[in-house]
Amino acid sequence: MTENKLLIALAGNANVGKSVIFNHLTGLHQHIGNWPGKTVERAEGTLHFKGYTIDIVDLPGIYSLSTYSLEELVSRKYIAVERPDVVINVVDASVLERNLFFTLQLMELETPMVIALNQMDIAKSKGIQVDIKKLEQLLGVPVMPTVAVKGVGIAKLLEKAIETVEKGLVKKHAHVRYGEEVEEKIGALIEKMKNAQFVYPPRYVAIKLLEGDEEIEREIQRIDPQIVFTAKKLAAKIECIHGHCCSTVITSERYEAAGCIARAAQKLVSPMKPSKVERLHNFTTHKVTGYLMLVFSLLLIFYFIFTFGDYTSGFLSDLLYGLEPFFASAFGTGLVGNLIWGGVMEGLIAGITIVLPYIIPFYIILYFLENSGYLSRIAFLMDNVMHKIGLHGKAFIPMMLGFGCNVPACLGCRIMETQRERLLAAFVTTLVPCAATTVIILGLVGDFLGIHWALALYLFNLVIIFVLGRLAFRVVPGEPTALIMEMHDYRWPHTKTILKQTWFRVAEFIKIAFPLIIVGSLVLKLAEVSGVLETVAAVLSPVTVVWLGLPAITGITLIFGVLRKELSLVMLAALLGTTNFALVLTPVQMIVFTLVAMFYIPCIATIAALVRDFGWKKSLFITVFEIAFAILLGGVALRLLTLAM
Amino acid sequence: MEKRNTEKNTLPLTALKQGEAGTVASISGGHGKGGGFEKRLMDMGLTPGTTVTVVKSAPFHGPLEILVRGSRLALGRGMAERIFVEKEK
Ligand SMILES: Nc1nc2c(ncn2[C@@H]2O[C@H](COP(=O)(O)OP(=O)(O)OP(=O)(O)O)[C@@H](O)[C@H]2O)c(=O)[nH]1
Repeated sequence: MTENKLLIALAGNANVGKSVIFNHLTGLHQHIGNWPGKTVERAEGTLHFKGYTIDIVDLPGIYSLSTYSLEELVSRKYIAVERPDVVINVVDASVLERNLFFTLQLMELETPMVIALNQMDIAKSKGIQVDIKKLEQLLGVPVMPTVAVKGVGIAKLLEKAIETVEKGLVKKHAHVRYGEEVEEKIGALIEKMKNAQFVYPPRYVAIKLLEGDEEIEREIQRIDPQIVFTAKKLAAKIECIHGHCCSTVITSERYEAAGCIARAAQKLVSPMKPSKVERLHNFTTHKVTGYLMLVFSLLLIFYFIFTFGDYTSGFLSDLLYGLEPFFASAFGTGLVGNLIWGGVMEGLIAGITIVLPYIIPFYIILYFLENSGYLSRIAFLMDNVMHKIGLHGKAFIPMMLGFGCNVPACLGCRIMETQRERLLAAFVTTLVPCAATTVIILGLVGDFLGIHWALALYLFNLVIIFVLGRLAFRVVPGEPTALIMEMHDYRWPHTKTILKQTWFRVAEFIKIAFPLIIVGSLVLKLAEVSGVLETVAAVLSPVTVVWLGLPAITGITLIFGVLRKELSLVMLAALLGTTNFALVLTPVQMIVFTLVAMFYIPCIATIAALVRDFGWKKSLFITVFEIAFAILLGGVALRLLTLAM
Repeated sequence: MEKRNTEKNTLPLTALKQGEAGTVASISGGHGKGGGFEKRLMDMGLTPGTTVTVVKSAPFHGPLEILVRGSRLALGRGMAERIFVEKEK
């Protein structure tokens, strides 16, 4: 490493303003990926400042450095193993006590650090004044007040961080002093570990062992089982004295310490009175108005996205299809031209006409809701509904996203705490009818059988989600986790951050989905021109014709639907040579076809998103299951409907 | 510590009415290995002796909204049932 390279990590609770600070620091020189082998997001960026090349890593928002979630594990490993030159701990000045609880744990990791005391404006409006000098003195860590959304204090913060590195102000900060009994045990353990070498500092290891931290225990067990044994004995003693288990005692004492510091450093200048923000909160979580508001907002959002999406999508596809003659004259209409236009370009167009009109607005709205704080209220309101399928309120968010597009929705399942819940949420999400599925439902059943049939299918879809969700919840091993979520005050989001987050999401989507859509459409085109498709249709006919009672060509169109679901309808029109489906399909066939199209497979891009987060095996399982399920359902529906109609 | 919740003067958090406050006495472990959600609750500030105010509960047995250590939390009902508090007068 050259001398003037620096590595800075941003750490703090969720929603304190890390992303905003990160964006201020790095501009567009950033990159979002995953932690190796984990479904935890990792945002990195680079900046140049005072002759330094600084790499900045935005760690996930967490409340503690224990082992509750993947995020917590990843963060503490990162700080202990990668040893960033300095950690910027972003702290929400308006909820100081809870934030300092995390700060104290960072300090136990003995990492060089600086505090960004953010959201000073909000603290002020709540009547909270913080004495910066006092806080610095109590913590032994430099503190810089900031208002991230206005960029206030960010440059100074960076200067302070660099200063900390240059002066080598390492390990100078004060430790939390626990109660006497606990300190005694920590001392004894440190003494016992004198000769051992760990990546973590000894005091930290001692504390974590007393807390019964499984991961640290496992690591120390490998080095010296005797230490773990002693720790267990000491922890039992503490439990004896206090009547609570040792980890409870330590956590309480740490919170006490955080509370003491917070109370000493902050002053409440005006009594808290219900402000506008407070009233909005009450309104949006109220048992009547809250739900009304929720329904109204969702309807508004969907209405907006679908009208906007429909319009722009049509406009874009007209525009892009206008290029066809140029391609025809450049590459001819022979095999090559056909492959280039019908394979590559049409795949590309398919991608573009879904990303720009649907995905972008969806993300903008999503991030607006998230950053403003409304999303957490939605999770609060929907918690008990989601519990019926074994998930908690937060899972409603990816599901809602799924109505737009399953791909971001599956990626959005990362907001769940455990891998199990992520998988369950993702599974349920793939069953949600996305915009493309809606096109089929409305375009076929809605147009030809009437809107009530379309609504009935939607309703049926929800029932299936419920049933399969419950089933999956029973089958997948593991414990459900319940909702614990901070609902921070409403605030006006930072537009630039929303736009950047949207941009990175869209880029991620393009990276995952586009290659697959293009390759997929090329392959299909090849199959088409080489005449393989007819064979495929023939091979599939036992399923399509005999079991589902559909025309044989639907086998082909359903395969096209894997690329993008609504293609199955577009192709059907093309192959049947008419858009008046009433001429070629009976009402029952329409319903059966739509049912199969709704459930039969998450589209190829969704599968890619699943693979990315859950690996091949699980994704394949979900895919195969859904295909089998859709076929089964279609056949049963055919028989029942024929009886009924 | 699982047994402590049977003491007479403590009640589950869900028994508090809207606007009432209590101090956390204990959290019953439930199933699974300790450390799971119990630790999580502690980490969110619900340590024994902490004052908790129930602000409201969502209808149809939905989650509770509570105030603890100056911040607002949403807490699933199943979890809230396992938190035992001493009611404040
Ligand atoms: N008024 C005000 N709002 C802020 C400030 N800093 C951040 N925000 C807002 O707080 C919200 C959350 O900020 P983020 O940067 O997304 O929070 P984060 O810490 O990255 O959160 P996670 O992504 O959950 O870890 C956004 O709506 C910001 O606009 C501030 O100093 N003042």
